[in-house]
Amino acid sequence: MGNVIEIQNLTKTYGKSRGVNDISLTVEQGDIFGFLGPNGAGKSTTIRSMLGMIHYQAGSIELLGLDAKTHQKDILRQVGYMPSEAMFYPSMKVKDVIKFAADARKMNCDKEAEYLCKKLEVNIDKRISELSLGNRKKVSIVCAMQHKPKLFIFDEPTSGLDPLMQEVFFDLILEYNKQGATCFLSSHVLSEVKRYCKNATIIREGKIIATDSVENLSHSDVRHIKLWRNGKLEEFVHQGDINELLQQLQGTKIDDLLIEQPSLDEVFMHYYEQ
Amino acid sequence: MTLWKHEMKMNLKSLLIWSICVGASCFGCLLLFKGLESTMDEMAGAYADMGSFSVALGLDKVAINTVEGFYATEVALIFAIGGAMFAAMCGAGILAKEEEGHTSEFLSTLPMGRINIVGAKYAAFAVLVFLFQVICIGWILVGFAGAGDFPPAKEFMMYHGLQFVMQLEIGSVCFLISACCKKRQTGAALGLALLLYMVDLMCRILPDIKNLKYITPFYYSNASDIFTDPNPEPVMIGIGMAVTLACAVISGIVYSKRDLAA
Repeated sequence: MGNVIEIQNLTKTYGKSRGVNDISLTVEQGDIFGFLGPNGAGKSTTIRSMLGMIHYQAGSIELLGLDAKTHQKDILRQVGYMPSEAMFYPSMKVKDVIKFAADARKMNCDKEAEYLCKKLEVNIDKRISELSLGNRKKVSIVCAMQHKPKLFIFDEPTSGLDPLMQEVFFDLILEYNKQGATCFLSSHVLSEVKRYCKNATIIREGKIIATDSVENLSHSDVRHIKLWRNGKLEEFVHQGDINELLQQLQGTKIDDLLIEQPSLDEVFMHYYEQ
Repeated sequence: MTLWKHEMKMNLKSLLIWSICVGASCFGCLLLFKGLESTMDEMAGAYADMGSFSVALGLDKVAINTVEGFYATEVALIFAIGGAMFAAMCGAGILAKEEEGHTSEFLSTLPMGRINIVGAKYAAFAVLVFLFQVICIGWILVGFAGAGDFPPAKEFMMYHGLQFVMQLEIGSVCFLISACCKKRQTGAALGLALLLYMVDLMCRILPDIKNLKYITPFYYSNASDIFTDPNPEPVMIGIGMAVTLACAVISGIVYSKRDLAA
C-alpha cells in the first residue's frame, strides 16, 4: 500500500512566532491516523499547510501522490475536509450550502448527501444562522463526505457533537474506510483516537515527538501500585521491569496488592509534558 | 461559474437597496425639474455667476434651466457619489468578507483555486456595478419621461459609460484593499470614494493642484464636461482603465500568495 500523506521536513513560521518546525510524517492508504497534540501544538498549521491555505517556508507535502503546492486543485478534488470551526454563509439554507459544495466540485452528490443528512439528522431547510455549533458540524460532515473522497482530513471533528452523533460520525468513517478511504484525524480527545485510529503521531510545540501504532503509544511501563502492609496503605509509582518490583516485594508480608496501568490520558500527558 | 452565481445571489439584496435608493433619488430629483421649470430662468443666471462654486459644480458650462443642464449639475451629483459609494463598498467586501466571516476555510478548500476565486468574485463585482448602472438608468429615463424632456442620447450614453468606468476604477482599488485585508474595510472604501470626489472639486477650483485631475476618476466622468463636449481626454480614461486592470491583476497575485485566516 502506498502513502497517501507524505510530509517531509515541513517548517512554517508566522513572523517570529513558531508554527511547526521540521516535521515529517507519512500516512498509509487505508489508515485511520490520529494526529494528537495540545492546543497550539501545530496541528492546524500542519493541516492548513497540507490544504494550501497557508504557505510553508521549507519542506515538502505530497497528498495522494501529488505535490501540495503545484497540484492543489487536483488534491482538493479528492479530499474531504472538515475544519474545527464549521462556518458557512449565515443567510444560506443548509441544502444550498451542501449543493454549493457539490457544484464547486462539478459533481452531483444528491444521493450521498441525502443518505448522510438522513443518518446525521440534518434539517436541510433551516438557515445556517439558525444552527447550533453541533448542527453546523453535521453540515460540515455532509460537505466533507458527500463526494466520497479518497482522503478525509478532520480537524477536531467531534467538538460540539453529542455522543450519539459522535458514534454515527465514526460509523461513517469506518464505512468509508472499508471502501478504501484514508482518514487523518486531528484531535485531543484521546479516547476516540485510542478507539478508532490504527496509528498516530504526537505533536508538541511544533515538533513531532512520537509516531507509532496507537497500541504501542498507549503502552507504558509505568504502574500505579497500591500495597497494604501491616494494616497500612502504601501508594507509589513503579517504572521499568515488573520483575524488579516482584523481586523487591519477595520476602515481605503483604496483606493485599493492586497493580494498575495508568489511564490513557496519563500516558499521553506524559508525552505532552516531556 | 458556481462561485460567480453564489456571489450574485449574496449581493442581490445590497444591489437592490442601493440601486433603488440612488435611482429613486435621481428620479425624484428629475420630477422636481418640472415644478421648478418656471423659476429656473432666473436661477440659471445666478448659479452661473457664483465664481469658484459655479466652476466646481460645472454651472458655468451648462444651463440649469435645461433638462440636460439640470441633470448634469444636480442629478448627476447624486448618481456619481451614490454609484461610487456602492462600487467602493461592493469591492471592499467581496473578498475580505470570507476571512471576516470565517468562511475562507470552507471556500478555499473547495477545488477552485485562489486565482479562480478572485476571478469569479471580480466578475461578480463588475456585473453588480453594471446592473446598478442599468437599474439606475431605468429610473432616470422614467424621470426624464416625467419631466417631459430627454437629454441628447450621445452625451447621456457617454456619461453613463464613463460613470461605469469610474465606478469600476474606484471599486477595483477597494477590491485590491479587500484582497490584502482580513476584515472588510468599508469605512476606508467609502472615505476613498468621497475623498476622490473632493479632489475633483478642488482641482477644478485651484490651478496649483490641477494635475490631480489625473488621479481622480470623477474628473473624466464629470457630467457637465461631458454634456458640454462629449469627447473627454483619452489619457485620463486610459489611466483609469490601467488602474482598474492593475488592481484586478495585483489582487489575484496578492490573494494567491498570502496566508488565509481560518
